[in-house]
Amino acid sequence: MNQIRIFDESFEAAFKNGVQFLKISTEDDNGSREPLTKWAPSSTSKLICSYCKTEFDDVVQQREHYKLDWHRYNLKQNLRVKPTITEEDFNEKADDVSSISGSDSEKEDSSENIAILRGRLFLKNSEGVVFSLYRCLLFEKKEELCDEILLKGLEKLHRNNQWTLLMLGGGHFAGGVFQGSTIILHKTFHAYVIRSGQGSSQRSMDNRSGSFQAKSAGASLRRYNELALTQHIHDIVRAWKKEIDNSSLIVYRAAGSFNQFVFFGGKAPLLDRSDSRLKTIPFVTKRPTFAELKRVHTLLTTVTMYESFDQVSGILKQEATDSSLKRSKKKTTNIDRAKSRENVERPSPINDSSMDDDVRVPNDSDENLEVDLIFSDQEISMSSVLQPFEDSLTVEERRQRKKKSKKDKLKHKRQIKEDLTRKKQLYDFVSSGHVQNLENHLKERGGGHVHMEIHNIALVNEVLDDVGNTLLHVAALHQQLEVIRFLLEKGADPCLRNQKQQTAYSCTQNNNVRKIFKNFAQEFPERHNYTKAQIPVPVELTEEQLNRRNAQRKLKKEKDKEKKKITQLIQQEECEKQRYLNLSDREKRALAAERRILSTNGSVVSRCFLCGTDISGKVPFEYSGNRFCSIDCLKAHRLSNSVILS
Amino acid sequence: MAFRVQFENNNEIGVFSKLTNSYCLVGIGGSENFYSTFESELSETIPVIHASLAGCRIIGRMSVGNKHGLLVPNSTFDTELQHLRNSLPDKVKLQRIEERLSALGNVVACNDYVALVHPDIDRETEEIIADTLNVEVFRQTIANNVLVGSYSVLSNRGALVHPNTPLSDQQELSTLLQLPLAAGTVNRGSNAVAAGMVVNDWCAFTGMDTTSTEVTVIESIFRLNDAVPSAITSSMRATLIESMT
Repeated sequence: MNQIRIFDESFEAAFKNGVQFLKISTEDDNGSREPLTKWAPSSTSKLICSYCKTEFDDVVQQREHYKLDWHRYNLKQNLRVKPTITEEDFNEKADDVSSISGSDSEKEDSSENIAILRGRLFLKNSEGVVFSLYRCLLFEKKEELCDEILLKGLEKLHRNNQWTLLMLGGGHFAGGVFQGSTIILHKTFHAYVIRSGQGSSQRSMDNRSGSFQAKSAGASLRRYNELALTQHIHDIVRAWKKEIDNSSLIVYRAAGSFNQFVFFGGKAPLLDRSDSRLKTIPFVTKRPTFAELKRVHTLLTTVTMYESFDQVSGILKQEATDSSLKRSKKKTTNIDRAKSRENVERPSPINDSSMDDDVRVPNDSDENLEVDLIFSDQEISMSSVLQPFEDSLTVEERRQRKKKSKKDKLKHKRQIKEDLTRKKQLYDFVSSGHVQNLENHLKERGGGHVHMEIHNIALVNEVLDDVGNTLLHVAALHQQLEVIRFLLEKGADPCLRNQKQQTAYSCTQNNNVRKIFKNFAQEFPERHNYTKAQIPVPVELTEEQLNRRNAQRKLKKEKDKEKKKITQLIQQEECEKQRYLNLSDREKRALAAERRILSTNGSVVSRCFLCGTDISGKVPFEYSGNRFCSIDCLKAHRLSNSVILS
Repeated sequence: MAFRVQFENNNEIGVFSKLTNSYCLVGIGGSENFYSTFESELSETIPVIHASLAGCRIIGRMSVGNKHGLLVPNSTFDTELQHLRNSLPDKVKLQRIEERLSALGNVVACNDYVALVHPDIDRETEEIIADTLNVEVFRQTIANNVLVGSYSVLSNRGALVHPNTPLSDQQELSTLLQLPLAAGTVNRGSNAVAAGMVVNDWCAFTGMDTTSTEVTVIESIFRLNDAVPSAITSSMRATLIESMT
């Protein structure tokens, strides 16, 4: 990586023979170029999924397939005109990606994969040399990157080396006109316009609506200084006008409304916003001083040349991973539907026809008729439009209804009371496990009804308490196994949820209770939707599916085994290495020597003191100057001739 | 029978109305002509309801429903929701959905048993659709177009899809939905079939521009000719009456 200046001769040589943008190719694109072959089912059966290129034996299988993640993935691939993948491939892929989201990924299919990093544009010339310079020097902010402008821009940049730099911030001003790397004009100064510690300029404080105008000495001083600063800068820039007009670029920094106002505001603005030579500084700068001005100029005029393409791609990749990490952190969370949302006041729609009546606008501007405009505020709401369709009852009918309800009120109250006592009784039966009593009770209530079945089911599914627990919930909570069984047989619905959104199965942790539910689900698989009831049902699979699953499992097991083996080997090696490293230098040398001798004449160098097995190349167990092959040998020797330890 | 109607000189009547087996929604309009056509055909069997969603009249594209329920987008006003609740039969569930793809009519096509949805629809929305409308939900495209709700019309007796749907896709869809299926147009060649017509099990309404050939196709695929009013008590009993068990 070496750096040259834009005005150097070597830079002209670099782009003279034509340049082009450096393109980065993403991995995804490599695969997409394969032609999409048309798939034809092998048999004539109609039970197929053309996206996933699979066939099914029956409709149930097909329907199940349409709900798989694999199918959704392939559907999206198909929409992007990319090749679809097989189930095995998907399973492998799914291991990498934790979940495949339902909504579309945010990754836009960028037609421009031109390499840009932190404002620097990467270019490649005809000799394959890669270099980078700031994008803003060549292109407008939203301009599309195209080759023609690029070449012209480079030439222009090289030809006219006069640049103007203006920086303003925090009352500091620094400006200069550069010719190549020499400075022909420059000026820096500072005015007290911003109170230290407080931050914003006096002008923006004064403009803030509602706040009073500060009358302190400091405030008026700052107010005065602001005017003076503006005037001063205007004077300087006017004086430099000739040089500025000659320069090829005007690079400026003016953050905040006050600083922008100094350059672009007022009756006769200093700079023209539509000037194509006007650029902002594309990186972070410090306080505007003369040194900073020079630093910015050198940074802007530097072209970085890279030795190889690999170096560039390395840098780019590094940046890509960094930015993706950042982005993934930033990702917003999903909407939490469990929480209630705040009510948004929406405006009523405005009816056009009603507006026309009240507001009359003169049609011809030629006629100078004096027409008074009449404005009137009118409240318009949808309810008035909808009212005619709202209620079809006449006044009399409504009155009749009211009367009736008054009469019924007492009766109604009594009924509620009865209902409560009955529910309490029922609750007691269920919680204490009196199946017989419960049965009698249900019979008593359901007996007289015409539609026995329907009525009974309604009774069995009755909500007992104010947290929405049904009979089944209560039985499950009190672990009344017989009652649960009885209720389920009577047709109680296990899918019903209480106010905590728990089904009867999920409201208890008890294993026996859960077993009852599971057994029932297995016995009558058709009666309820057990997935809704959150009861796990062992799925009966066809032989082929079973075989496939087994095969997959086997494959996975083998893979795991292999992985384990490899890790074990690595660990062993690591252990050996550690041991060797722990040896002293003398021992290492001895070991090496032993090995050498062993390899040359094959004769055994060292033997176990007790059993005489070959221990050359191994680390022996040493004890009072003798060497042994194992601890057992050592122990045996020690026991046989006991040594008195001092 | 299939009837030709117009909404204020506009033929895209599927935009301004929603027809199911248990109710019919009609957009609020300047003239009552549109409403009265529906009223005269349907008022004996199902309620015909004036409605607006979020102050708009394009209710057909904003909402999705069948005889079990009606789903409306999040932008629906509370007053409108209340009005719908008051007017719809008690059995019909009404729910407001938070979904990014808010034109539910364009992204969901359904009958009383199955629903096709946009591949990008939210998982939670999918669940709500399955629960509220009592349907099995499939993510699909029609003729490589993700707006399944705009390019297909389903009833319990048949389905009409975008004219560019390949034959193989038609077969696949028809096995998936367990319905006879045809590719066709409405309103003199418009391929946004759902925008040009509404249909339930015994009756269809199409735009005034629909040619007689198109009407014939519609009547035959939705089997409207053999659906005389007396059929309501015989062959169509099952679709109208929930269950007697």
